[in-house]
Amino acid sequence: MLEQIIKNYLINTKDKNPALFDDPALQVSALGLDSLDMVEMLFEIEDRCGFQLPDPTRYPQMSFREMLADIEAAIREHNNGELPDLSLEASK
Amino acid sequence: MAKVLITGMGAISPLGADLPTSFAQALAGHCAIGAATPDIAKWLPNVLLAQAAAEPASLLDNKHAGLDRASQFALVAANEALAAANFGSAPADARRVGVFVGIGFGGAHTVDGLYDRFQSAVHSDGKRNPVMVHPLSVPRMMANAPAAAISMSYGLHGPSHTYSVACASSSVAIGEAFRAIRDGYLNAAVVVGCEAMLTPGALLAWNALRVMAKPHAANPARSCRPFSQDRSGFVLGEGAAAIVLESAARAGDRDQQPLAELAGYGCSSDAAHLTAPSSAEQIYAMQQALADAGLSPDDIQYLNAHGTATDAGDVTETESIRGAFGSAAERLAVSSTKAMHGHLIGAGGILEFALSVMAMNCGSLPPTATLEQPDPRCDLDYIPLQARHGCDIRAIMSNSFAFGGSNVSLVAKRIAP
Repeated sequence: MLEQIIKNYLINTKDKNPALFDDPALQVSALGLDSLDMVEMLFEIEDRCGFQLPDPTRYPQMSFREMLADIEAAIREHNNGELPDLSLEASK
Repeated sequence: MAKVLITGMGAISPLGADLPTSFAQALAGHCAIGAATPDIAKWLPNVLLAQAAAEPASLLDNKHAGLDRASQFALVAANEALAAANFGSAPADARRVGVFVGIGFGGAHTVDGLYDRFQSAVHSDGKRNPVMVHPLSVPRMMANAPAAAISMSYGLHGPSHTYSVACASSSVAIGEAFRAIRDGYLNAAVVVGCEAMLTPGALLAWNALRVMAKPHAANPARSCRPFSQDRSGFVLGEGAAAIVLESAARAGDRDQQPLAELAGYGCSSDAAHLTAPSSAEQIYAMQQALADAGLSPDDIQYLNAHGTATDAGDVTETESIRGAFGSAAERLAVSSTKAMHGHLIGAGGILEFALSVMAMNCGSLPPTATLEQPDPRCDLDYIPLQARHGCDIRAIMSNSFAFGGSNVSLVAKRIAP
């Protein structure tokens, strides 16, 4: 779910090629996101989870998979180890 | 001093999704006024709106979907004006091409949406955290967001200025761009007026001011009735208009045919009352514009009045036109197109100016479409009900008189054949 939400945002809002995500070694820096794109992308998750993820400037140094794992860990830490229902739509 | 030419125009208004359609509908006397949207009518059942003829996002690339509605309107109008002027992106003299925008209430949709979301999150039984707000809320709502969107879209590196002067915002933007080109600071400018505040919060505020038209019993679309005895106020509208201004030298260098010459700009402040108009400084704004253009009152054949359909506004403007034009006022054709497209506040001045330039060029004058019972205190030729065709119009004036006492008059001249 988490991965799909972020991919949907990048494909539908930022016009990223869906084929990019077939590469397991995809780097976040290869997505060409500026700082505004990054916070907008994270908001898709933050609005559903109800808290702000720490320090988004770390993510461009990670692979896409590492970023997803890092975000999931932050969400679980905030929810006593659980992953909450992320099916709500984010506000625009 | 450089001669300043208008080389392109565009609009998205309640009358049409482009300027030619808006003008054709104005000549037809079509009133684009209707009932409020359900979210507004729920609280204000008698409020009327003049909604844009098209959704601006539907006319733009998907990358602009996240912009505030006012910025989207601005881009749509600018795209039309720049295309009409054959004005490409990133011109060689990009540092000498400016963007001048007028807007009354920047980011109204974003602000209203923000508070609406906050309220629904507060009452969501913990499903939403009210403090989580979209991170682009500030860049969306800032008043200069439309100017930024245009300068970035077209690679224009000259000044990108935003003027917020209530109902005179975009007329000031035209005048200041005119001066910048005329006085040699710039070669060209894109001037835009935009407004998008048909939101519940904004309408509650306007309703409290008691200046909004009441629904006309026979035909609510005809509820805005400038210069009429049965006037009851104005109807808020939304949209944008744009013009491209260039020095005659720049337009000549690229063989671009001009639409008209922007010839005069006058501005003044009443320094008297927050909302009530006064005549002396309106007269001075018109006199300045005439002097700036090197024209006498007899040289103007058509005047687009501010004409908001408030008692104080209509009567004062009539007195002011008489004061500025003297005996020439008897021969002057005047209309208020707000009867048809509503009051676009920050976009009103430039939309009315663009309609006036089109009227000058084709010799057909849009009417004051709802003037069925002329107020005897408003005794000029207000072109009642029907457009007037076959007129020889060599110069026009457009007035914008704002809350806060800011007065602006603009003069354009027809290009000699």
